[in-house]
Amino acid sequence: MEALFYVFSFIAIFSALMVVTMRNPLTSALYLVLCFFALAGFYVILDMQFLAAMQILVYAGAIMVLVVLVIMLLNISRIKNIGSDLHQKIIGGLISLILFAEVVLYIINGAQKKPTGIFTRALIKKIGNTQIIGEFLFTEYMLPFEIASILLFVAIIGAYLFAKKKY
Amino acid sequence: MNNYLIVASIIFCIGALGVIVRKNLIVVFMSLELMFNAANLGFVAVSNRLNLISGDIFVIFVIVVAAAEAAIALGIAIAFYREKGTVDIDKANELKN
Repeated sequence: MEALFYVFSFIAIFSALMVVTMRNPLTSALYLVLCFFALAGFYVILDMQFLAAMQILVYAGAIMVLVVLVIMLLNISRIKNIGSDLHQKIIGGLISLILFAEVVLYIINGAQKKPTGIFTRALIKKIGNTQIIGEFLFTEYMLPFEIASILLFVAIIGAYLFAKKKY
Repeated sequence: MNNYLIVASIIFCIGALGVIVRKNLIVVFMSLELMFNAANLGFVAVSNRLNLISGDIFVIFVIVVAAAEAAIALGIAIAFYREKGTVDIDKANELKN
């Protein structure tokens, strides 16, 4: 498990760096797919196989296909080489370094909370993670579930309106 | 759990770097997706550590919102490209000039 964790974290961080640094957006998109697969591997290590499947189906499948399709629809030679200014790089690097230092300090110094829930690894393995998630989605989280469906519906209409020729 | 949170924060900061530095609208969008995913990893790691299930449920809602956001953002990208002939976000300066 420990070795797998390091392999996945290396792949995830490397491909995330590649997404940000590559000039060609199509290369970035393919590295992003690799990153999503590594994160799905993390979910499998953490005993959430259903989330790993969702990650691969929805992110690496649906969303990245949409991104690649849009890159294809646009003229690739005109969107390929959009560089960034030096001052932008310096400011961006500083901001993200400060953010990282802040988060890591918080993680290291923060008080560790004791486990409070009842869903231990053994229980999740016994019932099955898909069944637990399904039960919670249709009982305790019923209202957010319905609102999510409305959100998706609105997003369909919005995407159609934006991509229409005249609006 | 700390290891997972640190990996998640590294990915989040790389995503933030991409959002700030890159000018290509599509790459900015992909960096946003990276940030979403880092947050998801944090949720799953914490709820695994605290024996809870709500973090995992929340990840599903984040995925739903990310899917909706992807549809809208790429629609905006296409509309922007049709208007300007490029996806350089520095060209979106009507309100400035």
